Amino acid sequence: MDTSSPTVFVNGELLKLYMGRRVRTVVQVIRNEGGAVVGQSTDNQQLTVKGPNQSVPVMHFMEVIGVADGPQSIRAEICTDFGSNFDTASYNGLCKLANGQFKNLFL
Amino acid sequence: MYANHYDGGASHFHGGGFMPSQATQTPDQAGSSKTRSSTTSTTVPLTIKQITEAYHLNDERADFLIDGVEPSLVKLLGRVLNKAERVTDVSFLLDDGTGSIEVTRWVSDSFDTDEMTKIENGMYVVLIGKLKAFQGKRHIGAHAVRPVQDFNQITLHFMECIHAHLDNSRKATAVPATTSAMNDMRAYQTLNVGTGASGDIREVVLSVFQEPASLARENGLHVNEIIRRLGLQEQKIREAIEYHVEVGNIYSTIDDDHYKSACNG
Repeated sequence: MDTSSPTVFVNGELLKLYMGRRVRTVVQVIRNEGGAVVGQSTDNQQLTVKGPNQSVPVMHFMEVIGVADGPQSIRAEICTDFGSNFDTASYNGLCKLANGQFKNLFL
Repeated sequence: MYANHYDGGASHFHGGGFMPSQATQTPDQAGSSKTRSSTTSTTVPLTIKQITEAYHLNDERADFLIDGVEPSLVKLLGRVLNKAERVTDVSFLLDDGTGSIEVTRWVSDSFDTDEMTKIENGMYVVLIGKLKAFQGKRHIGAHAVRPVQDFNQITLHFMECIHAHLDNSRKATAVPATTSAMNDMRAYQTLNVGTGASGDIREVVLSVFQEPASLARENGLHVNEIIRRLGLQEQKIREAIEYHVEVGNIYSTIDDDHYKSACNG
C-alpha cells in the first residue's frame, strides 16, 4: 500500500469528484460478476469494484481502498470484509463531513 | 510562588526559579498561565494528518499543540504495516488514510508480548500512546494496541476526531456556537469573512493570543497556527495582527511571524 498518498473517504456521490485518485469507501456486496464485484454504496448508488477481491460474501460490507477509475467504478488495491453489521448512515455522514467542512483534518 | 527545591536535577532544566512565562512541574503551582496541568491528562483522538500538522512547541520537551490543546495521550486508528519484532520492542507503521506514522511498542512482560503477537500486517488497530518527536521526525510510543473487531469503530473514531477538533477549537476561540448542524458553523464563519466584519476577526484573533496556553509560550504563536485554528483567510488575520501590534496589544517576538500578547496573565 502506498503510504505516501492519503485516501479520501467517499460515497457514491463523492466518488466522481476524485477520479484518478486514491479513495476508500464501504459498499455492501450485491453480486459477483466475473472479475468484478457490484456493491451498493452508503448513499445507495451501485458501484463496480474491479481487482483482487478477497471473496467477500454477498450481503456483507466490504471496504475498498483503490483508485477511482470511473464515476461509479473503483480499481481496488485492498478489500476488507467488514462483516454484516455496519452502520451505513454514519459512514455516509462521515464521508460528507470529511470532504466538507473538516477536509483539513483528513486531506 | 515557586518552590525552589533543587534536587540536583533532572526535572528542573528550566534553570533558576522566576520565569513567569514558563510552566514548571512543581505541584504547588497555583498558576494561571500553566501550559501543562499536573492533574489532568488529556487523551485526544486524532487523524495522522492532524499530527503531522501539529505545531511543535519546543524541541527539548517534545510538546505539541493541536487545536490549542497539548495532548498527553493520543488515540489513533489505522492499518498496521511493516510490523517488525525486536527483543525489547515491536514497531510498525500506522496508516489511517490521512497519513502514516511510526509506532513503537515497548514490550517488557508477557502481557505486552501477547498483546503484540495478535497484531498483524494489514490489520486495523486502535492505539493509545504518546506523541514524540526525535530529530524533527514525529512518532508514537504506544501504551496499548488493540485490534478493531467491530468496524463501526472506524467511523466512530473519525467522528470523535471531528468532535474533539470542534470542541477544542470552540473552547479556544470562546465563540458561542450551536452544538448541532455544521451548517450553523459554516454560516457563522462565512458571515465573519464575507461581511468583512473586521471587528469580529480582530477580537477573535486577540482572544487566541490571550489564552493561558498562548501566554505561557515564550515565543508566542506563529501566524500560521492562528490561520489554521480559526480557518480564516491569511490576509484578514495578518490585518488583524497588524492592527493589534499598532495598538499595542501584541508584539512580535523571534521574527515577523511570531506574536505574543502584551498582557501577561
